[in-house]
Amino acid sequence: MEITRRTLLKASVAASAAATVGIPISEVAAKTVDEAEKDWLWDKSVCRFCGTGCGIMVATQDGRIVATKGDPDAPVNRGLNCIKGYFNGKIQYGKDRLTKPLLRMTDGKFDKQGKFQAVSWDRAMDEMEKQFKQVYKEQGPHGVAIFGSGQYTIPEGYAAAKLMKAGFRSNNIDPNARHCMASAVVAFIQSFGIDEPSGNYDDIEYTDTVVTWGANMAECHPILWARVSDRKLGDVDNVKLINLTTCSNQTSDIADSEIIFKPGTDLAIWNYIAREIVKRDAVDHDFVNKHCVFATGPYDIGYGMRPTSKYAFEAEKDIQAKELEVVLDADEAIAQRRRAGERVKQKNTKAPVKHWQISFDEFKRGVEPYTLDFVARLSKGDPDESLASHRQKLQALADAYIDDQRKVVSFWTMGMNQHYRGSWVNEQAYMVHLLLGKQAKPGDGAFSLTGQPSACGTAREVGTFAHRLPADMVVANPKHRARSEKLWKLPPKTLNPKVGAHIMNILRGLEDGKIKFAWVQVNNPFQASANANHWIKAARKMDNFIVCSDPYPTVSAKVADLILPTAMIFEKWGLYGNAERRTQGWRQQVNAPGEARTDVWQALEFSKRFKLKEVWGKQKIPGLKSKGFTDGELPDVLQQAKAMGYSPEDSLYDVLFATAQNRKVAWPDEAVAKGHACNTAEWLGEGWFPEKALFNEYREFGLGHEHDLADFDTYMSDDNRGLKWPVVDGKETEWRFNEKYDPYVTKGAGFEFYGKALKATPVGDLDGVTDKKKKPLPGRAKIFFRPYAAPPEQPDNNYDLWFSTGRVIEHWHTGTMTRRVPELHRAVPTAQLFMHPYDAKQRGLKRNDVVVVESRRGVFKALLETQGRNRPAKGYTFAPFFDESVFVNKVCLDVTCPMSKETDFKKAAVKVYKA
Amino acid sequence: MNISAILAVVLPEKLDTMVTTLNQLPGVEVHHIEQDSGRLILTQEAESIDDEIKGLKMIKKLPGIIMADMVQHYFGEDEHSYPPELPDELNDQSEAVCVPAFLNE
Repeated sequence: MEITRRTLLKASVAASAAATVGIPISEVAAKTVDEAEKDWLWDKSVCRFCGTGCGIMVATQDGRIVATKGDPDAPVNRGLNCIKGYFNGKIQYGKDRLTKPLLRMTDGKFDKQGKFQAVSWDRAMDEMEKQFKQVYKEQGPHGVAIFGSGQYTIPEGYAAAKLMKAGFRSNNIDPNARHCMASAVVAFIQSFGIDEPSGNYDDIEYTDTVVTWGANMAECHPILWARVSDRKLGDVDNVKLINLTTCSNQTSDIADSEIIFKPGTDLAIWNYIAREIVKRDAVDHDFVNKHCVFATGPYDIGYGMRPTSKYAFEAEKDIQAKELEVVLDADEAIAQRRRAGERVKQKNTKAPVKHWQISFDEFKRGVEPYTLDFVARLSKGDPDESLASHRQKLQALADAYIDDQRKVVSFWTMGMNQHYRGSWVNEQAYMVHLLLGKQAKPGDGAFSLTGQPSACGTAREVGTFAHRLPADMVVANPKHRARSEKLWKLPPKTLNPKVGAHIMNILRGLEDGKIKFAWVQVNNPFQASANANHWIKAARKMDNFIVCSDPYPTVSAKVADLILPTAMIFEKWGLYGNAERRTQGWRQQVNAPGEARTDVWQALEFSKRFKLKEVWGKQKIPGLKSKGFTDGELPDVLQQAKAMGYSPEDSLYDVLFATAQNRKVAWPDEAVAKGHACNTAEWLGEGWFPEKALFNEYREFGLGHEHDLADFDTYMSDDNRGLKWPVVDGKETEWRFNEKYDPYVTKGAGFEFYGKALKATPVGDLDGVTDKKKKPLPGRAKIFFRPYAAPPEQPDNNYDLWFSTGRVIEHWHTGTMTRRVPELHRAVPTAQLFMHPYDAKQRGLKRNDVVVVESRRGVFKALLETQGRNRPAKGYTFAPFFDESVFVNKVCLDVTCPMSKETDFKKAAVKVYKA
Repeated sequence: MNISAILAVVLPEKLDTMVTTLNQLPGVEVHHIEQDSGRLILTQEAESIDDEIKGLKMIKKLPGIIMADMVQHYFGEDEHSYPPELPDELNDQSEAVCVPAFLNE
């Protein structure tokens, strides 16, 4: 590049950036921008990577993306981008991008042991259809499954869920968001009766106290952390930041206090705060009496493992046995008001979510054992810290929450969600905020941050979970099924009332032969799931057929039988929903390379291959028991379908997607597209606009049901930077449940927790139900008492160190996208195991040694790091999970929260030795 | 060759020294200065994104810097081409046809 051009570009990039953040620039500088960018076309978009939902501007020139910048008009990030955000424009240009369908074949025929060969889309879909139909016929709708995603765009998730649930009558669709958000969801539904946070990111500017729990915001949510830092630096003396973590990290750098706690004892710390609130009579009685009830549930709910050791490796069996019976340790005995050494049969593994209302007195009795003495001793996580210091920090933490002159926001992510009692610990956050009346107000609230860009907008709101339907409805509820059948124009009893397999059970189903066809969409489950050795074996050794839609050869693509080359974010139209309920849309910017196709096109094209008579006849569903259904089966609904005007010969494409109504949504749509292409519409070639039609159809579920969204064109318009739902009369809702802001709250109520789920429960005491009759609690939130329970696997003499996994800033998820940028990859070349220097010395190890990390389930190798940004306490190790060649999930334990089925990636016991 | 624009906020009383310091960093050039708020826009030219990240981290660590984050990024002259046939990774049959070797280590 000649020097003048470079000089001009630099001046232009600088001037454009200055304008973006509102620094005045000269006319001359502005002219350089005009000149350097004269052939660029800027358009608004959304970052592909995390749940923060930053706006980015994308510049294209001659069909290629040439630049990106933070969107100055985006309220989330206000022109800034974190390092990851930068690479949105580059991730689609990796040299190993997949551009043709690939099928394992020998001698021109599919062979599970064969080699990948490029085939046409027709050939790929023919094989997929053949394999699917064979399994479907033999095993029924629950013999097939889809691995879905929190990275699905809304139309993608909706198409996949509708195809599975309404078309194939299978609930075996579950997103990788199960691994990151499911515990948050259970707590939202149980506490408020409706999913997702009451507040929004502006809480950061309104509050004066930010407490982070198991959330390394500085690295994992840097743009929100920039807002927190701004707030702190703008008012250093008054604004308090407290970071609770098991491993010292960057978030502590500007914090007033860093509390290092022992894994799992967050359960006890929340109860200590609650006890202090009660003891100091700091309860907001008016708020609690008007808007809350107290509740609890069973403790003997297991750990989400399989109930049998049949599939367990020999070394795993001692941990697996805890699924059936637990011997209480001394601390659990105190925390649960039992005897140490007591053997407790896990009787409620099948119904861990059941709960009942209790009195305030019973609640007080529950938190009574959580004294400062007990909790400080139990929770101290750094052997080098004195008990007095830890005690003092806990006390200051309680003071900060309780101070009635302070507003307080609690943020958390995976530390609390990926937890063997993740739903409990999420509920405890609401417990503390509700007791204090510090919830659903500007600057006051417990706020669950998300990991994926549309974990909220798609996985949760669209309901691509095994138990959900759109707009917070569930498959097990007959009224919800009836409403969905009406909106989807399905005969009654088309939808399957039996909850499908959650993501760990899809993997387990592949291993034990219950599931024989799986389709991986927008995620990488064979790398991202704990205890991975089992699932890799299941994919390659068992008799099954695995399809993976992927832009790149990921671990999941490599273990699949058929790979479908897939379009990436700016190669399609899409909408995401972020953690603050903000729905945002973008247009297609460039074409997908080669024969890569969008996920929407793939779902629709596959649906063309099924006639109603193949799927809407009688179907067997092992284990189905539901009122109005014959045990173990779904009825034939073809007769009713005929009465509704369908023919048994109609395809699922015509019945579910290209409906008369949707075909009216025309493509080209120049008013919205403004010169941008829509490859999905063009490939289908039928003059309709699938992404828009599907979004507007989906939107009907939420209207008038507390989940109102605006229409497609609104989100796509140039001046729209997303809206926080519910969007009523064109207006977004900033704080839900608060009359000042939320149109759903009854006038005069002040606050109203109007979510409709689980709004009547039995009544009882701490030990159980005393009156089975369900007592309604309309408009109220539940304040749960949940006890401390010990992690099922802890360091012992053999596996003598804690091990946790998580993210680092340069990489996201399994590294599939960010690792495509070679330079970025080099910044963190291979995963490291972070360890305290003392522990390294004890084992004769030094920095940069290659070490083996071994658990009951497997081993991996990594480079040892004893300095740097993650600084574990003695006895504790950490490795990020992005790197394929350092497969940490082989070591991780597949214990889940029994309520949410979300895996606990944070607490395994390992030993470490020199390779 | 990549060019990125970075927003930095410096302590206003250190503004002049910071501008000098920043201009001495390799590939870094301060373009716009807002005196009152201490906000600066600088560009960083670097061969690779790796170098850009290193540079940004170095800037963040300078005494007197309150914050530094990226705003804009130009990479229009960074050329990659698509493989016309199977990606190499899948052509390597030892990786592709069975459980990839590294998974069994």
